[in-house]
Amino acid sequence: MDVIFAALGLLWDPTVIGIMLACAVYGLAVGSIPGLSASMAVALLVPMTFFIDAVPALAGIVTLAAMAIFAGDLPGAFLRIPGTPASAAYADEAYKMSLQGKGERALGIGLVCSAIGGVFGALVLLFAAPSLAKIALKFSTFEYFWLACMGLSAAVVVSHGNMAKGMLSLFLGLFIAMIGIDPMSGQIRYTFGNSALIGGLGFIPVLIGFFALSEVMRFAALRVRPTHSASTVGNVFSGLGQDVIRLRYGILRGCGLGTIIGAIPGAGADIASYISYAAQKKLSKNPEKFGTGIVDGIGPASAANNSAVGGAFVPATVFGIPGDSLSAIIIGVLYMKGLNPGPTVFLRQPELITAVFLAFLIANIMLVPFGFAAIKMFKQVLRVPRTLLMPSILAFCIVGAFAVENAVFAVTTMLIVGVLGYLMEENGYPIAPAILGLVLGPMLEENFLSSMMKAHGDFAAFFERPLAAGIAAVTIILWLYPVLSWGFANLKAHRNKALS
Amino acid sequence: MKKITKSLALGVAALSVAASGAFAGEWPERPVTIIAAAGAGGGTDGVARILANHLKERLGQQFNVVNQGQAGGVVGITNMANAEPDGYTIGLIYNFAHYKLLGQADFDYKSFRPIAQVNFDPAAFQVANGSDWQDMRQALDAIKADPGAYSIGCGGGCGGSWPIAVATLLDQWKVDLSKVNMVPGKGAAAAMQDMVAGGFDAVPCSLPEAEALIDAGEARSLAVFKPERLAKYPDVPTLKEATGLDLELGAWRGIVAPAGLPDEIATKLEAALDEIAHDPKWIEEMNSRGFGIRWRNSAEFTAFVKQHTDEVAAVLPALGLN
Repeated sequence: MDVIFAALGLLWDPTVIGIMLACAVYGLAVGSIPGLSASMAVALLVPMTFFIDAVPALAGIVTLAAMAIFAGDLPGAFLRIPGTPASAAYADEAYKMSLQGKGERALGIGLVCSAIGGVFGALVLLFAAPSLAKIALKFSTFEYFWLACMGLSAAVVVSHGNMAKGMLSLFLGLFIAMIGIDPMSGQIRYTFGNSALIGGLGFIPVLIGFFALSEVMRFAALRVRPTHSASTVGNVFSGLGQDVIRLRYGILRGCGLGTIIGAIPGAGADIASYISYAAQKKLSKNPEKFGTGIVDGIGPASAANNSAVGGAFVPATVFGIPGDSLSAIIIGVLYMKGLNPGPTVFLRQPELITAVFLAFLIANIMLVPFGFAAIKMFKQVLRVPRTLLMPSILAFCIVGAFAVENAVFAVTTMLIVGVLGYLMEENGYPIAPAILGLVLGPMLEENFLSSMMKAHGDFAAFFERPLAAGIAAVTIILWLYPVLSWGFANLKAHRNKALS
Repeated sequence: MKKITKSLALGVAALSVAASGAFAGEWPERPVTIIAAAGAGGGTDGVARILANHLKERLGQQFNVVNQGQAGGVVGITNMANAEPDGYTIGLIYNFAHYKLLGQADFDYKSFRPIAQVNFDPAAFQVANGSDWQDMRQALDAIKADPGAYSIGCGGGCGGSWPIAVATLLDQWKVDLSKVNMVPGKGAAAAMQDMVAGGFDAVPCSLPEAEALIDAGEARSLAVFKPERLAKYPDVPTLKEATGLDLELGAWRGIVAPAGLPDEIATKLEAALDEIAHDPKWIEEMNSRGFGIRWRNSAEFTAFVKQHTDEVAAVLPALGLN
């Protein structure tokens, strides 16, 4: 307890509070602009951390991370353009709600669940980081392979009905992920001799193209332009209590899934929100309503992506293993500030590292008022006529794609993928499975090949390690479940017939 | 909002700089781009950003770090080689020779004008704490006796700094390199984690990268590939102490410009880097992040990149990689 009070003392300082407030605003702004990602925002802050002390620097960065992940929901709900990849799983759900005039409910539940998820992740970080970090040390490539397989199964769920089109979309995502240098053999694939393709298609430019540009084009192609539902955005908090109580188990599951998936290096907030969404739909009494605009699709997934941020700090601080690109940057700053990640930081400088975790906790509580203000502000943005708003989004798309890769080719990628995304949507091919393929494709491929190399080509090795065998069993049961349940039902009917 | 505007302005500035090739007066009269052929947040990015601050102080112009880590750095290094040799695009390069040998890139040491080397980090040989190997000699003998039985994590690609260091060592120990099972991956941190999880028998990487897991009692380091022990890790024996082989192997970083850079710019940049490399503030900043200091001036660095190319060319074919 003494440590916590000492840590609070470190945070109770005008500079620290000022920097946290500034970073909160910055994080909300960056997260809500389609095309600018949270990791980019943090990377831009790094040079500035040279000039400030460890506690304000890190407190600012974790505040920014918490805010940016939520802010990604804003353009998702109002414009159907997720601000960060982590919001992609349920952007469509939230947008459908705002079309029905329930935008405030969508964002209200997103905000509160983000805060709950974030606080959950922060508490785990504060009290259980060293023990949770041990999970990361159990995962070898064999386990990652099965985890990726399990994640891919979520594609079935996010396809909303049309399985065949969902599959095609998933394969497209997997294909895009294969372009460029093969991570294992170094072979160059699908570049057709074009050296710009060697590095593959950047994830963020592709994402901007699929979501933002295709939306701009859809708007441009409309004959009758809709007057927007922004005016109907009323009280963010009305009816919220009931929703949260009704969804309590789902939200809690989202928190748990998010924290654990975040704590497994290489998986992150985006995968966590897909899996949480899928789990909620699978366990729901009325799965057919998912994808039509219901809060059930938003709350648990929103809780998952924010708790994943806290989860990712676990292996990052305890073992110096980055969970995602954001925590990789944070590790760099920890080193720079002499807080070398590792178990010793908890022994030698417990109040410093506790102060950072507490800052993350406080940031997630601050998220409620700040997020509320951001929703209000974002509504003002929507007052701008769409004929002006859409071209400015296009400008952000172009700048964002360029800035993240520092290459003009990224803009080309974004434009081409945007046209592709538009054509897919117009013909009923869902985009979400393609994004899932894009996220999980490299994970699946690298871990499969790496495992095969370790095992000298023996496929049985995927079942030899106890944890791998466990995840494999769950995944395979998940795949066979429809067949098995159909078989059981038949068997039962048969037996009943025989008995009667 | 202000920062976003700034970042956007930077993006636009980078575009316009790329578009105009104008050059007159005394260099540098406008901002200089330093290409870091790595993502934001990693070691190369860190060194580039510390360096950029010092260069700005001494040369009075903004030095902007641009991250181009696509394709494991191939994209960024290619752009260093192909940029206009006007002094407004320079790069922080690292062990690069394997890219051409693996057929992934066209550049070689002749594509650059080496200005100075600023950093060297020795490789170290890590095993999981539960490993049977207690010292380096035991590990080398075991691998020599049955090279195919063990998996070594390369970190990134198997042509990179750390795997080449360990391959050079194994080669010197007369191990049959073609049989050694070296497995590529997603970086040293991921490989260390995988090793502790039981996926690899050994992982070569720098000591700062391994420090957290060593402190946690999950991993051990058997030797550091440098003639003298590192001050920060006094318990880790040198390769010479552990095996009798006197080798210095690892990762290095230095500033290069595209070949054809005018002499007066090269001299001015080298002089500024010389001052920086001997500035106590630079040394302290580098040390605080765990980066080793190594100064090589333009002539020494030029000889070194050629030597580096020859060394890599000697072990890569034996690994069966090209």
